[in-house]
Amino acid sequence: MKTLIAIPAFNEEASIGAVLAELAGHHPMEHVIVIDDGSRDATSTIARDAGVRVIRHSVNLGVGAAMGSAFKYAARNGYEALVQLDADGQHRPEFLSVLLDRVGSADIVVGSRFAGGGEFRSTWARRNVQRVIAWTVSAYARTRLTDVTSGFRVAGPKAIQLFAEHYPVEFLGDTVESIVLASRHGLSVAEVPVVMNERAGGLPSQSIFRATLYTGRILLILVLAGFRSSPPSIVDMKKRAKRESAA
Amino acid sequence: MSPQILAIILSVAMLVVVLVLLRFYFLPEKYAVIWLVAALVSVVLAIFPSLLDAIATFFGIAQPINLLFVAGFFIVLLLLMQLSLELARTREQLRKVVQSVAADMEQRSHDDR
Repeated sequence: MKTLIAIPAFNEEASIGAVLAELAGHHPMEHVIVIDDGSRDATSTIARDAGVRVIRHSVNLGVGAAMGSAFKYAARNGYEALVQLDADGQHRPEFLSVLLDRVGSADIVVGSRFAGGGEFRSTWARRNVQRVIAWTVSAYARTRLTDVTSGFRVAGPKAIQLFAEHYPVEFLGDTVESIVLASRHGLSVAEVPVVMNERAGGLPSQSIFRATLYTGRILLILVLAGFRSSPPSIVDMKKRAKRESAA
Repeated sequence: MSPQILAIILSVAMLVVVLVLLRFYFLPEKYAVIWLVAALVSVVLAIFPSLLDAIATFFGIAQPINLLFVAGFFIVLLLLMQLSLELARTREQLRKVVQSVAADMEQRSHDDR
């Protein structure tokens, strides 16, 4: 299976070199792409020197938009699977084969920290919020998912086609919304247990205020996702497909 | 016809417009919250106008309608401010994109020679 590894990166010069060096032992470097989302540091230069392809956004558009570019690149170049890997060293390349083994039987495979029985080590409130989010997304996906905000995941051919047309861009909501969007378009989602490293940087939600804002945002996205129809670009894609099959 | 019915019709119409725009992805999530809140508040006030009287009394405003004007005017100003900031940010991004495209084109024509 022709597989692309996509690494969205924003100001990651401290960790991107080590991440690519470790990845080199697990995947051919010509099938790795770094999407530099408007970094103001040496992220692009380090990635190019490591021998991988680089797409560079001239302005910072967010992780969702970076993944959108990655999916468009994958669709254009005939890839059958796309693995998302974080640039901060959180995701371990030795689990690539574990994820890729399942992509034949599901359209999206999410690497979960908690599928093996692990718990979200945090305060009582945050653990329960994570549980509610996971439960809601599981209901959309009609399968039990434990780590829906995990960015370590594989998209198969159908998911690449869908996400090349539209990938959610809302800040911090792309991981959750993409699962809901895919489920609503009849794609199947599965998860496999993985082990992750501690993040090099801080969590996106450190203070109570930020954590509340983050949770509120994700819950709003979940409510909206259930109520919204298809994004216009996906409607166009379906119309095109129908015309082609009629002709 | 009582003016309350007109108020209810208008505010419900606004709520429906916001929901339809959201449903078909015309209104992004980022701006959804403020419009949803505005629409819901106007629906509630249209149905229970006595709420406005209670809040006005609390603030010591003699005419409740003045509270509505002050609050409405203030919210519209905030929305305008948000629009100005967004426009400034978008212009800045556009400038960066045009400059980088121009630089890449120059580089390419240079490489072709």
